[in-house]
Amino acid sequence: MIKKFIHQFASPKTYLFQVERVYKFILYFSLVVYFVSLIWGLLFTQEDFVQGNSFRIIYLHVPASFLSQSLYVSMAVASFVYIVWRVKLAAYLVISIAPIGALTTFIALTSGSIWGIPTWGTWWQWDARITSTLILFIMYLGLISLHSSFANYEKADKLLSWLAIVGAINVPIIKKSVDWWSTLHQSASITLTDKPSIDPSMLYPLIGSMIGFFGITICLVIISSKYQIFIREKNKSWIKEYV
Amino acid sequence: MFEFAFNSLGEAIYMNGHGIYVWSVVVLVLISLLSFFIGYNLKIKKFKKKFNESN
Repeated sequence: MIKKFIHQFASPKTYLFQVERVYKFILYFSLVVYFVSLIWGLLFTQEDFVQGNSFRIIYLHVPASFLSQSLYVSMAVASFVYIVWRVKLAAYLVISIAPIGALTTFIALTSGSIWGIPTWGTWWQWDARITSTLILFIMYLGLISLHSSFANYEKADKLLSWLAIVGAINVPIIKKSVDWWSTLHQSASITLTDKPSIDPSMLYPLIGSMIGFFGITICLVIISSKYQIFIREKNKSWIKEYV
Repeated sequence: MFEFAFNSLGEAIYMNGHGIYVWSVVVLVLISLLSFFIGYNLKIKKFKKKFNESN
């Protein structure tokens, strides 16, 4: 029954027609939320008494950092669906998510490095959080280049899915690195179980920027997967109607 | 909560010497996102053009 449900709603054709309907709404909504939150955070919140104005990088760094890990988890879930139920769309999603994950990880690493200069006095430190995030970035790049090195898509999808699942072990390591090792990074200010340790005037624009960035990333995944479906399904008759 | 945090626009750009870091990250993020949007849309456009020519 689950298999029937997944196959019915996860055909590339159904997916394309469904996402086409919501794409513009998600894009415009996310852009508005993201830019309003950024302006709020960058210009309308008070200066942090420890870090000064450099703390404002939080509104760009944290959403990217959160999404870099979330995208990897979603890639691992899609890989699992592909391996267990052989859903083609899941395989297309895995390779569509990888470049967007690499982009968000790149943003997280570079914005963190720039933030490190005024805060820590260095742009790079081999601490657990930064190193594990760098490993995540290398993993994304490795998966992308590995997939493109295969002429046979099916073989590439299988290998990529297995590697994505195995590599998911790095995500909890990144998350817990600040607790397990002594690092320059502070512990998480926002958790699901405790009250946030960040002031509400700084927290609300941060939540807004995270929601906005999440939506923008979803839109990037949608257009990336659209391109992937075009390439992989170009010989199917329904593609002619669509294009 | 919605009070402008600076006395002037120049101060908002300078941010007590931290503006260079903050605004360079803003530019980096916007350019990165925009380049991906433009890149994928161009790829899709190119595919559609090629596909329509061959069919």
